[in-house]
Amino acid sequence: MFIDMHVHPAFYEPINADPQMEELRHETLDIHKNGTARLEHIFNQMQCAGLDRLCLLPEDYSTQQNGTVLVSNQEIRDLVDLAPDKFIGFASVDPHDVKATEKLEHAFSQLKLSGLKLHPGRQHFYPYDEVVRPLYEVCEKYDKPIVFHSGISWEPDTLTKYSRPAAFEELAAARPKLRICLAHFGWPWCREVAMLMLKFPNVYTDTGALYFDSAREFYTQMLTKDVPLTWIDRSLRHQVMFGSNNPRFEQIRMAQALENMAFRDSTLELIRGQNAIDFLGGIPEGGGKL
Amino acid sequence: MYLDTIELWTKSYNEYTVITPQVREILAKSRLQNGMLTVVTKHTTTGITINEALECLESDIAAFLDRLVPEDYPYSHARMLRDYGSTAGNATGHLKAHITGNHCHFPVINGELAAGGAQEVYFCEFDGPAHRIINVTIQGE
Repeated sequence: MFIDMHVHPAFYEPINADPQMEELRHETLDIHKNGTARLEHIFNQMQCAGLDRLCLLPEDYSTQQNGTVLVSNQEIRDLVDLAPDKFIGFASVDPHDVKATEKLEHAFSQLKLSGLKLHPGRQHFYPYDEVVRPLYEVCEKYDKPIVFHSGISWEPDTLTKYSRPAAFEELAAARPKLRICLAHFGWPWCREVAMLMLKFPNVYTDTGALYFDSAREFYTQMLTKDVPLTWIDRSLRHQVMFGSNNPRFEQIRMAQALENMAFRDSTLELIRGQNAIDFLGGIPEGGGKL
Repeated sequence: MYLDTIELWTKSYNEYTVITPQVREILAKSRLQNGMLTVVTKHTTTGITINEALECLESDIAAFLDRLVPEDYPYSHARMLRDYGSTAGNATGHLKAHITGNHCHFPVINGELAAGGAQEVYFCEFDGPAHRIINVTIQGE
C-alpha cells in the first residue's frame, strides 16, 4: 500500500463548477496556470506514481474570507464518495470560528472524515493557544489525528512564526495520545522535527517538501544531509510518511525520488504506507463511504 | 482559415500517440480542397512529429531522446516558479519538445492530406499525464 498523505484537491474538477470559487482558490493558495483536473487525470497520475491512496486535505480560513470556506468538509466528503477506494478525506475548521468545535464534531460524526488539517501559519494561531485546544479534545474523543502545516508556507498571508516545529513541543508533550503530523518535515527546521519525533512517539512528519532543485536533489539534501538517512532508517522509521503536497509539488517525481533513497526496504515500506495507516488508526473501508 | 482542435488526456509520463485519423477528420469537416494544413501543439513539454507508426520505432525514438535528455541531470529548470506557485521539475519535457519541434505541415490536394504512405502524425507527451490541446489549421479554398 502506497499512500500520499498530503494532497490538496482544491483544483479537482468535481468541486470547481463555480469559476469564481476556482479563482479564489488560485489567489488564496497562490497556485496558478494549472487549470482543473478531472478525476480520470488524478487516477492516471496516481498510477504513474504507483500510489494506491491519496489523503485529501481541505482549507478553512473562513474567518478571514467573509465566511467562505475555501475547500469545505462536505466537498471532501463528496470527492471521497466519488472514489472511496482511492481517497481518504480529512476535515478542516477555522479555529477562530466560534462554531469550529461543532463543525469538527459534524465532520467526524456525520461526514466520517478521517482526521483534521490545520494551518497555524495561515490561520494565525500558535499550536498550544487556548483558541485551538477544544479542537484537540474533539480529536481525542474520536481518536482522529491532526496534520499541521509546519515550516515555511508559500501561501500568501502566512507567518512562519506560528508553524516552526519547536512551537509544537508543548502540545506533543501535553497530549501524548493525540497523533500529530508536522507536515513538510517542518522545512527548513527538519532537525527540530527530528528532535520532536525522537522525544514524542505521537509526532509524525511527511515528506511534502520540494522548495529547491529537483525532487531527487531536494530529497537527497533533506533526507540524507539535513536529517541523516541513518536517523530516519534506524530511529524515526515509524514516524515518517510519504506526502507530496500536490499540486504545489510534483507527486510522480517525488514518489520516484523516495524510492531511490538508500533506506532499508522495510523502512521504505513503512514510509510508503504502514506509518500512514498507523497514523490514521487504520484505513476506513471504502474510504469510510457513507 | 479553418481552425479546430484535438483534445487528449494523456496517461503516461512519456507517450507517443498517432493523431493522423483525427487530423484527417478535421480536414474532411473543413470541406477545403486545396491549401496547407498545420498541426501545432499548444504546450511546451509536448511535441508534434512525423514518422512511421511502428512500435519498434517508437521505442527507438524514446530511447534516443532519453539518451540525449537524461532524467538524472542538474538542470537549471528545477526550482520554484513564482508565476505558478509550484515547482518546475519538467526540464526534460521542455528539452525533448525542443528536439521534436511543436508542429508539422502538410499540403492539402483535392481534399486529401498529401502525406507519404509511411507518414503518420505523432503527438509526443513528455510531461504527462496531462490534459493537452492541439490546434489544427487549414489555409486554402
